Formats: sequence, C-alpha cells, structure tokens
Amino acid sequence: MSRAALLLVCLLVLVAPARAERLVSQVSNETIEITSSFSGERMNFFGTIIPDAGSEQKYVEGPFHVVVVVLGPTQNRVARQKTNVLGIWLNTDQVEFDNFPSYFHVLSSGRLTDITDVTTLTTNLILPESHTLAANSADWWKGAIFGRELVRLMTEEGLFGVQENAVNFPADNFYSARLTLPSNAPPGPYVALTYVFKNGEIIARKSEGFAVRKIGFERFLALSAVQQPLLYGLVCVVLALFTGWLGGVLFKR
Amino acid sequence: MQVYLPIAELSVNLFFLVGIGGAVGFLSGLFGVGGGFLLTPLLIFSGVPAPVAVASVTGQVVAASTSGALAHYRRGAIDLHLALYLVLSGILGAFGGVAMFALLRDAGQLDLVISLGFLVLLGSVGVLMLIESTRAILKQRQGIVVRERLPNQHNWIHGLPMRVRFKKSRLYISVLPVLIIGLFIGFVGSLLGIGGGFIMVPALVYLLRVPGNVVIGTSLAQVVAMMAATTVLHAVQSQSVDILLAFCLMVGGTAGAQFGASAGKYLRGEQLRGLLALLVLAVAIRFGLSLVLAPADTFSMAVLGVAQ
Repeated sequence: MSRAALLLVCLLVLVAPARAERLVSQVSNETIEITSSFSGERMNFFGTIIPDAGSEQKYVEGPFHVVVVVLGPTQNRVARQKTNVLGIWLNTDQVEFDNFPSYFHVLSSGRLTDITDVTTLTTNLILPESHTLAANSADWWKGAIFGRELVRLMTEEGLFGVQENAVNFPADNFYSARLTLPSNAPPGPYVALTYVFKNGEIIARKSEGFAVRKIGFERFLALSAVQQPLLYGLVCVVLALFTGWLGGVLFKR
Repeated sequence: MQVYLPIAELSVNLFFLVGIGGAVGFLSGLFGVGGGFLLTPLLIFSGVPAPVAVASVTGQVVAASTSGALAHYRRGAIDLHLALYLVLSGILGAFGGVAMFALLRDAGQLDLVISLGFLVLLGSVGVLMLIESTRAILKQRQGIVVRERLPNQHNWIHGLPMRVRFKKSRLYISVLPVLIIGLFIGFVGSLLGIGGGFIMVPALVYLLRVPGNVVIGTSLAQVVAMMAATTVLHAVQSQSVDILLAFCLMVGGTAGAQFGASAGKYLRGEQLRGLLALLVLAVAIRFGLSLVLAPADTFSMAVLGVAQ
C-alpha cells in the first residue's frame, strides 16, 4: 500500500513539475555540400526557450545561457613529440586518442566558467580538454600533457575552438549563434548539441545532426579512390601519360 | 581561384598548384629529371598531408617524364633493353618501398626517414656532381681538351658475372649492378615520392658507363614506367593519390618542362650538371637543417584512421 502511494507521488512529481522549460531549435543547413570551390560555409543555430508542454508556466523566466557544441566525425588521432637525440630532432614519444572528434567548436553566450562549474562542463564534454581524457596511455600525466598539446594543434588548424560570445539573445528567450565551418572541415556526420543553462544548471538540451559531404564530381572521385583503388590508380596513370603526351604535342615547334 | 582536393580534403589555390607544377616542370625539363625531389617537399610545406603529397607527385612525375621520354624515343636515344631490366627490378623495389612507407607512417617516423633519405641521397649525389662538373668546367677554362669517356673503358663493376649485351649502349656488362640500381631506385623513389632520375643518371654514367646520348632517354623511360607502377601501388595500398592534385601539377609540369627543355639547349652539359648539383644540394641542406635545428613546435599530430 505504502509502495503504491510512493509510486503515485513519484509519478506526480515526474508528470507535473512546477517549472520546466523546453528548447525548440534549428540548424540553418542540414547538409553542407563540398563542391570544387568549397572554401568553408557559414551556419546558423537558433532556437527558442519555451515552457514545457503540460507545465503550469505561461512564460519562461531567464536569464538563460546557451551553449552550442558542434562535433565532427570521430577519428583515431595521435599526438607526437620530438626530442633531440644525438643532435637530430625525431619523434620519440606518442599518445593515441581513440574516437577523437575531428571538429569541435563551442559557441556560448558568455564565459563558460561563468555559466556553470567545471565539473558540469567536463562531464558533458563541453570543454575541449574533456575529449582528451580517453588517452590511450598508461601514464595519466603524459596523456594529459599530450592531450593539451593536441587541443592546441587542433585549435591552430581551426578545427577546435571556443567562442564565448558567439551566442546572441535578440529576445529574452530567443537565441541565435553563427559558426563558419572552415574549408578543412572533415566530411562526415556532425552533431550540434545545444544546452540551456539557468543558474548554472542544465535545464534543457537538444541535439541536431547535419552532414558535411562531398557531392558531385568530388564525391565520385573520393568514392572511387576507396571502392575501385586499382582502376583509380590506372586512370591516374593513363591521365598522366595522356597529359604528358599532349604537352609534348602542343608545345612541339 | 580555390579548388577543393577530394583526397587531401582541403582547398588550395589552383594557380598556386599549376604555378609550382610549372616551375618544377621547367627545372625538370632543363635538367632531365622528374622533379619529384622538389615538388614533394614543396607540397608538404604548403600543407598537403605527406602521404597524399608523395603519392600524388608520383602521378605527376609520370606526366612530366612522358613527353621527354617520347621525344628521346623518337630520336632513338633510349636503350629499351637496358630500361626493361631497370624497370622490372624497379617495380620490385617499389613494392618494398610502398610497404615500408605504410609501416613508417604508422610508426610516426615517416617524416624522419623522408628527411634523412633526402639529406643523405641528395647530399652525396649533389656533392659528387658538383665536384665533377666544377672540375670539367675548370679544365675547359684552362684549355685542356676533356676526353669523352669511351664506352669500352672498364671498371670493376664490368667484371661481374651474368653478362648481357646492351646493343644501343654498346655495353657488355653484368646484369647484377643494373638490377641492384633498379631495385634501389624503385625502393627509394616510392618511399620518398621521387622519380630518382638524379640518382639514375649518375649511376648510369659513372657506374655502368652508359654513353651520354642514351643516358637521359633511358633514365626517363625507366622513370615513366616505374612511377606509373608506383602510382597504382600507392592508389591500391594507401588510397592517397589525389587525382585532382596530380592533374593540376601535371598541367603546369608538362608545360613548364617544354620551356625547360628548350632553355637547356643554351647550356653546356657540365654547366647543367653543376646547376643541378647546386639545386640538389640546396634541398639537401634544407632537409638537414630541419633535422638539426630545433623545430618551432616539438609536438605534431596525425590521423591514424577513421574510428569505427
């Protein structure tokens, strides 16, 4: 009897929370198409924070903070360190990072450390460094150092980044964020994770997928290089022989 | 105008690619070498991943050498018999080189081996060529008539067993040194992304005593056949041949090579060899410095493969 009552209380708590917000969000581009003249693409992320269906709220009360995390397809990456051995600089140490994102950008409406605490940021993989915790290294300290360097290298390539003022609030509960995908953005499935913070707590979250893919001729070339490598190689050689022959014919005086 | 390279997965300025292809093509036409030893470092330096650069340049070298090889063939300046031996052993060496390439890349030592390889090869070949050509030029200035090496002038290499007659080169020599040269150049060429013409030409001249009128043609024919095979090997093994990148380089390269070849007519043989020696040495020094000087960044990264 008492157990049934407890269950009832639990259900009531779950079904009718006093306050709840919901996030309605959208991404401007569902597919980013890499064509021969691809030199990056601008994207917009926008959404509205509204009262959750069934909640008693008529309106939402801020102030809210929004963090958009854009993650690219994962790869196995390795960070290497050169040291001087007998006067020659060579790679002597390396740490592998499995399933490391090939692209990672954080857009936020304020300083991340002001929005919430580091634990929340780390457990939700919002900080770039949190992706390096899965280093394939027995030595934790070494993994941490190489991880930090890897994040730095990725940042220099424009593949990693934190933009702490990229999310704007044109209205109290409407946000928009802008991101420019660089031309070296790796093709594959991407996911944009949007977190809404209020008083340091995550009150709503949503994820949207989009894809960066080669289309047309570029896609055809990339696919044939993998699916028909022998034919692809032979075509390369024929093309080379033809170009060389044509060059000789054209320029012969 | 930016062009997106589907295998390298980055966009590069089209005119930059055609431009460096043309500049290197000019030099390759001038000196009768493939130009890979200049193009591969240039591409790596401009941000193309090393595996893609090496594999795509092999394709470019085929194109750059084809018109030269055809021109020499029409003039009858190719010893096809000798080239066949070199090509067959070269392809065998290329198998080893491509396998070694993959092995080193995974171990993270590819850059080191490429730098060391360029340093040792280019350094020694460059110094030898420089000494030889300076001597020739000096002797000529002093008015001493340099006697052309007679093809029947022998060294110890000619005493080896398994002798074969190469009619066009007017040689009757052992096939062993021929096969070893082919094997070595196939291995090194596929590993470093170079045609190996700058090793082949001195090897043919100084070791085998191949007469000057067939050296360049035979070397070019060997480069075309061996690099064609290496391109296919790279395409199958590492799938890192970027056909668009290679094509842009080819267009520039073949055009540049024609101008280089006609410019070469105004220079004497030893002058050409001296200039090539300086060029080769400059690249060797560049690689030597990269090994010895403290790098700007001691850390680097690489992709091991797409995660499952």
